[in-house]
Amino acid sequence: MRPETRSGLTTQKLRLQINGEHRSVEVETDETLLSVLRDKLKLYGNRRGCGIGYCGACTVLVDNKPVSSCIMLAVQVEGKRLTTVEGLSRDGELHPVQQAFLDHSAFQCSYCTPGFILTTKAMLDEDPSPSREEIREYLVGNLCRCGSYYNIMEAVEDAAARIREGVR
Amino acid sequence: MNVGRAIPYVDALERVDGSIGFTINLEVPGMLHARVLRSSSSHARLLKVDASRAEHLPGVVAVLTHADFGPEMELLYGGMKGDQPVVARDKVRYVGEPIAVVAAEDPETAESALSLIEVEYEDLTPVFDPYEADTEGSPLVHDEYGTNVCSYFKLRHGDVEAGFAEADRVFEHRFYSPAAQQFPLEPHVTIASVDDGSATLWSSTQAPYPVRESVAKVLKLPEDKVRIVVPPLGGGYGAKNFVKLEPMVAAIARKAGRPVRLALSTEEEFVTVTKHPATVKIKTGVKADGTITARKVDIHWSGGAYADTTPPVARGGGVTATGPYRVPHAWVDSRAMYTNLPQAGSFRGLAVNQVVWAYESQMDIIADALGMDPLEFRLHNLIDEGEEWVTGERMDDSHYKDLIREVADKIGWDEPSRSEGNLKRGKGLGVTLKSTITPSTSRASLKLDATGTLWVFASSVEMGQGVKTVLSQMAADAVGVPLERVRIVDPDTSITPYDMTTSSSRSTFSSGGAIRNAAESLKAQLLELASEITEQAPTDIEIVDGFIRSRNATGEGIPLAELLQRNDRDELFAEGSLETQGGLDPETGQGKASDHWHQGAGAAEVEVDTETGKVTVLRYHAASYVSRVINPTNVRLQNEGNVVYGLGPALFEEIIFDRGRVVNPNLDSYPIPSLEDVPENLTSSALESPDAEVPYGVGENTLPSVAPAVANAVFRATGIRIYDLPITPEKVLRALRAKKEQSR
Repeated sequence: MRPETRSGLTTQKLRLQINGEHRSVEVETDETLLSVLRDKLKLYGNRRGCGIGYCGACTVLVDNKPVSSCIMLAVQVEGKRLTTVEGLSRDGELHPVQQAFLDHSAFQCSYCTPGFILTTKAMLDEDPSPSREEIREYLVGNLCRCGSYYNIMEAVEDAAARIREGVR
Repeated sequence: MNVGRAIPYVDALERVDGSIGFTINLEVPGMLHARVLRSSSSHARLLKVDASRAEHLPGVVAVLTHADFGPEMELLYGGMKGDQPVVARDKVRYVGEPIAVVAAEDPETAESALSLIEVEYEDLTPVFDPYEADTEGSPLVHDEYGTNVCSYFKLRHGDVEAGFAEADRVFEHRFYSPAAQQFPLEPHVTIASVDDGSATLWSSTQAPYPVRESVAKVLKLPEDKVRIVVPPLGGGYGAKNFVKLEPMVAAIARKAGRPVRLALSTEEEFVTVTKHPATVKIKTGVKADGTITARKVDIHWSGGAYADTTPPVARGGGVTATGPYRVPHAWVDSRAMYTNLPQAGSFRGLAVNQVVWAYESQMDIIADALGMDPLEFRLHNLIDEGEEWVTGERMDDSHYKDLIREVADKIGWDEPSRSEGNLKRGKGLGVTLKSTITPSTSRASLKLDATGTLWVFASSVEMGQGVKTVLSQMAADAVGVPLERVRIVDPDTSITPYDMTTSSSRSTFSSGGAIRNAAESLKAQLLELASEITEQAPTDIEIVDGFIRSRNATGEGIPLAELLQRNDRDELFAEGSLETQGGLDPETGQGKASDHWHQGAGAAEVEVDTETGKVTVLRYHAASYVSRVINPTNVRLQNEGNVVYGLGPALFEEIIFDRGRVVNPNLDSYPIPSLEDVPENLTSSALESPDAEVPYGVGENTLPSVAPAVANAVFRATGIRIYDLPITPEKVLRALRAKKEQSR
């Protein structure tokens, strides 16, 4: 029974770069980034989960760092670069991390999948050769209730290999 | 052949690009947003519900209270017993019970309006403990019933007292499982659009047809005027089985005269459905050689304030409470009580989690007392193929011994675990039998159109288990078309035929069976058409890969699309169904409990840190009997996903109530398994029968064994026994200290 108070009094024009596109959107100052992405921009790959920043379903990349968009105010990303799952494929071709998740069936219900894929992308952009221990640590904030973790680990290791081989 | 192949999910692309259409993404033009005012009292008389101020808040379109029910709408519904009001009327029965629903132009306005609704309570004494609820003079959750018994299942087999008299040793223990939360990451979401004579709901439910029945009852509409549409679910695990938000949302949509959407917060999920807290007292007689002579089990389930799926829980847990063992004399009392807690309902591994925790923990206690190896003790007592069981039914297709041998072998049962200093290691086993809901019915229809596309209409809900994928594989092979030509239609009660529910690990078996039957009929029609064109007997023609061809000829043959066109047919239809038979005598529990049995086993190796009490599961091997594998990838995801899911309630998941109020209703205080909790070495096997045609489900088989396998491993590592789940560091440390003091 999370209270969602409405101040609604102050709105602000937010400029951001999302998936390579410059967008401008009217937001309330107390509005979360997740709510702007889902309700205003209709980017439904960003999932509403626990609402308190623990499950990782709402993960987006802000300047290529994973954040929980459900506990970040939209106004905090003014002028920043946002990447969501909708921005990963290029010319109809999946990002290698997406392709690896597909090839390894690294999901069941897939509600958490965009969050896992984005966190993995950020990790591999930093270091394309993570150890298993590093992968576990990096992805510990993304939860998969179906328990597809084994396949996720396989997919992440495979994605790392693809990226090292210069797939993209 | 597609069956048996590890083909990717048929909807894999939309799952990795994020475009899959969950209910939570849906919007309907003109849609309002709902919020629910919930009870702050666990048990009280409702003296006043006054929504007039809320109704006048700008932006509020309608407020639903009990006053709206009567001639127009029916207040009571309920998956099983019709005991649940859409919103509370005379009484509230748990903290979190809906009292009023507000529909407004936006969710924030709806939320603000809640505080304007005036509610007066007169507190009553609550009852939370199922034993207390089962005593004379206890407060009554439903006064009109005169009892708190929600459901009572009993099993009587042989002469249990004579069985104990035959025994050399008799063991009695008590095991406890607390409430837990299913925790699908996509919450319950329903959108309802209701006009004068009909209703359409889009809902994240596992049970479209039972939902239709309840909504029709509440709206006083014929069932065929109610349409339930079910997009793919972001997880279910039982939480979305049977009826949840739908009557409430339908009722306010009718009052508002506009479509209404309600999506629950995580905190609301915790008061919408939970796993049943249960205490299992189990008494077992054994001979000195390890032969079980008798078992007597008393189970008390806390069902919460409303029945939901409590009756099948009392039955499913009661009938399996003596385990997959040869028990000549058995007695089970399985009593599910109404309590002033949120309703308990289906939870993956329904009811069996709680009883397996008891009987598999006790198996190890007895083995230890007799000086027997836990594997040997189990093998000595597990039922064999075709043996008579405690219900009097013949247990055909029983593979428990193979399963336990398999997991023992894979974990290296005979190799000792190595302990170092305060890090103690040990291995443990568990075995599970679980019924599938019997009798039950699934229907399916097939349409082959003039493009050669095979449309499959079935009401099994895709919730991540991959049902669309396995049904595609089965349909493709059953008719003889390429997999790419198969389309599975999402459940929609105005289009897809009746199915009881997507639960009980039944869809592959039931909907798959209905599709197979429909395919036979479709093939007969196709062969008939082909026979006319080719002037050959139908028996000389076959359908392969989308072509009709003569069994004796070479070459490709005629494409199915062309066959239809040449016969001037736009499409062909066929229907099929699968109905199972069975049932148990209400006085004795004798009869046929299950069409077939879900069978699983698990073996764990754990490390216990005796300084901190932390239990780490290093290795786990799960095995389930599946009869026939349709898709090895999906089977593995289910088998191993079950282990991960089971580790939560085994090690840390527990809903804590303070006088009926949930203390830990989100992930900050109710953790669920993350990558850090997954064993470094997690493996599984799926056992098949060589000639089996019919597949069994795998949705739950390997889950219930997890907790006892871990607890038994903890015992073998440290000598301490945990009786109450979860196996937390605090309990481990306390037990270690008690053991130390005892040995002093």
